[in-house]
Amino acid sequence: MKKILLILCTILACAVSANAKLNVVATLPDFGSLAREIGGDKIDIVTLAKPTEDPHFVDARPSFVVSLRSTDVLIDGGAELEIGWLPPLLQNARNPKIEIGKPGRVQASQGIRLMNVPTNVTRAAGDVHALGNPHFMSDPIIAKAVAQHIAQSFSAVDSANAAVYDANYKKFEAAINAKLQEWGAAMLPFKGQNVVAYHDSWVYFAHRFGVNIDIFLEPKPGIPPSPSHLTEVIAQMKARHIKAIIVEPFHDRRIAEKVANATGAKVVEFSQFPGGLPGTDSYVKLIDTLVSRLAAALK
Amino acid sequence: MRKFILVTLAIFSVAAASAQGAASVSTSSPGPAVSKSMPASAADVEALRQQVQSLSETVKTLQQQVKDQQAALEKASLGGELASQQNPEPSPIAGAAGSPAPAASAPRRFPIEDTSVVSSTTAPAVSGTPAPGSFPTTDTSVVTSTPETISSSGAGGSLTAPIAIGGGKNYMNISFDGLFALAYSSARDLNHVEVGDHDPQQRGFNARNIELAFDGAVDPYFEGFANIVFKLDNDNETEVEVEEAFLQTTSLPFNLQLKAGQFFAAFGRLNPTHPHTWDFADAPLVSGRILGPDGLRGVGAQISWIVPVPWYSQVIFAVQNGRGGTGYSFRNPGDDGIFFGRTTTDREARGLQDFVWIPRWENSVDLSPTQVVLAGVSGAFGSNETGANARTQIYGGDLLYKWKSSHAEGGFPFVKWQTEAMYRRFEAGRGVDESFPVAETFHDWGMYSQLLWGFKKGWVAGVRGDYLHMTDSEFTDDMDRQTRSRVSANLTWYPTEFSKIRLQYNHDFFDENFFLADRDVDSVFLQFEFILGAHGAHKF
Repeated sequence: MKKILLILCTILACAVSANAKLNVVATLPDFGSLAREIGGDKIDIVTLAKPTEDPHFVDARPSFVVSLRSTDVLIDGGAELEIGWLPPLLQNARNPKIEIGKPGRVQASQGIRLMNVPTNVTRAAGDVHALGNPHFMSDPIIAKAVAQHIAQSFSAVDSANAAVYDANYKKFEAAINAKLQEWGAAMLPFKGQNVVAYHDSWVYFAHRFGVNIDIFLEPKPGIPPSPSHLTEVIAQMKARHIKAIIVEPFHDRRIAEKVANATGAKVVEFSQFPGGLPGTDSYVKLIDTLVSRLAAALK
Repeated sequence: MRKFILVTLAIFSVAAASAQGAASVSTSSPGPAVSKSMPASAADVEALRQQVQSLSETVKTLQQQVKDQQAALEKASLGGELASQQNPEPSPIAGAAGSPAPAASAPRRFPIEDTSVVSSTTAPAVSGTPAPGSFPTTDTSVVTSTPETISSSGAGGSLTAPIAIGGGKNYMNISFDGLFALAYSSARDLNHVEVGDHDPQQRGFNARNIELAFDGAVDPYFEGFANIVFKLDNDNETEVEVEEAFLQTTSLPFNLQLKAGQFFAAFGRLNPTHPHTWDFADAPLVSGRILGPDGLRGVGAQISWIVPVPWYSQVIFAVQNGRGGTGYSFRNPGDDGIFFGRTTTDREARGLQDFVWIPRWENSVDLSPTQVVLAGVSGAFGSNETGANARTQIYGGDLLYKWKSSHAEGGFPFVKWQTEAMYRRFEAGRGVDESFPVAETFHDWGMYSQLLWGFKKGWVAGVRGDYLHMTDSEFTDDMDRQTRSRVSANLTWYPTEFSKIRLQYNHDFFDENFFLADRDVDSVFLQFEFILGAHGAHKF
């Protein structure tokens, strides 16, 4: 009985405190992490996808509708990465505050120039995204722009705390600017080097830090690696002396290990999302980890 | 001739204008503005010459400065970076080096702004100058507020034009789905063994669900959906079904939502879904025999409410005409005017009691970050055509459990267990003019339970058990009223989310009754599907 009372009190307390704070939902953990930087203790944030799962295929769980139906702000990618699961959630959420065009809706790709926009949209090329490669958050300069977008949205929806959001954004911007020097210096010795990735989700990271990531274990985006394609990759890796293979938490690491064994390259665990690797609970820590891991592998 | 003169004049004026533009661009901030008049006087030329001279001197000194800086940087073993950093975006860096800004501020070892990826509209350096490649030297990064105003500054080689935000450039998503099956069965009358209208109906090839799907925002208030199904009957004649066509509100207050048109009733798990999303090649016995071969759907309206509690709880209430084959257990005159042996009436609605009323309440909780449970109860109440006051009530309960790995790739691996049970109370009257010997009440019930295991990316194995109990009647020899059960097993390969190949085995048992003998039937289906067009989203 006491326990039930306690639970009820907690729920009530949650409900009360939820009213006091700005409710924010982020579809993916990278947006969630930026929202936390900007919102600090002024917001309650719910992140839908897990940092370790494939962001293309997230179950549209009913509990997500509960988060979305009352949220003040929704941050999504806007570049069709979540197209397989976000639309039915939004159809069911019936929340006018997060309609496209409202200040409560942040589409992170807005104002970002997406790379690899296909000239011909055909699924014969695999699961290509018609709007361009949606894995843009691994570029810290883009992350700054998204953070500013989030800060603008928070300020518009919760004007009482606009100064806090602005200050937090400035802090984040300064942190990234300073860190960029560090990351740039760490990656500098490896400029122009080739790196292999399991899936084509690192084009923005590669562009920022001057490495080439254009060989993939997947023959086409979303298509599982085939033996014949892997043979080709191994030959290319040997010819170009490629030292690192990037895999993400949800990829089949054994395939990467096989290729690594055949070529002497190292498997480097990467994640697009804060929380996807140990010790990466913030965006800055994530890029720190990515840069140091890749630098160590390329040495 | 006149045309020719006009064209030359036009060309000349364009050339002049562009020359003027070039001049105004080449003289950037340091010098005073060049006179805008076209015919340049000698004094103007002299002034220009002087300006150019002074400018080139400035450039020389700046170059020297840069060289000095580079030397200094090289000493600090950082020089390589600046030099190499210039490679990817040569023009912006060159522009920056030419202006005094880098000398004034602390030397940046790594760029912290990139106009090629973050488009900016308010920075004067970008929006003011049409020339590409002006590198923003300010520290205030800017984001466009509207996608239409993204300016195209000089972008790197692999970068492309700005994109439209918000799900493509069409007003409507269109997709096309083709679902086919190659069937073998030990029974010749496969159409009596299979209970769903979209199930394989004959030995050999079947094309029972070729579907056009449309959806999109109607306006700020409504979304529209439509599914038009084409199917080929056993004589290869094409039949068309308006399976669904409805609009749905997007932003009613109080978590309410209205839906109106032709739609599947929200009864249980399977009924509201389209056959190509099913985990098996055919409908479960309860779906086909209690709700109907086409499922329970019809023209009507529905209101739903998400209950404001901390878990997912939704109440749905629909009303439909319930008439014809898609209202199977309700105002359905049956084939050739006979249903369950009775000669039926096919009357107009007398009042509200002749509509089908369909309530549903569903709840869901996350047991853990990887486990979800969804449970619901449904009902459907209306009248039927076998008697003057004959009524039908259907009750259903459903349960779904799903586990998905926290490290899922492409949605795999997962385990999904789904069960539905239904009970139907059917008052079978004496038919038109009391022509049937008796009135009786059928208590029919059944359930299915299926377990799906997505063991590897793209691969799903499934088993299903089916049971259907029909009240034994000594008065009707309707084959659809035979108590029966079925076990099924299948293996599905999804090469991508846009195609699938499925092999399924069914074993059917038919119980003996007053008119029909017991028998066993074995069937094998090879189902294949493709989807073209818009990327479908997956409801839970």
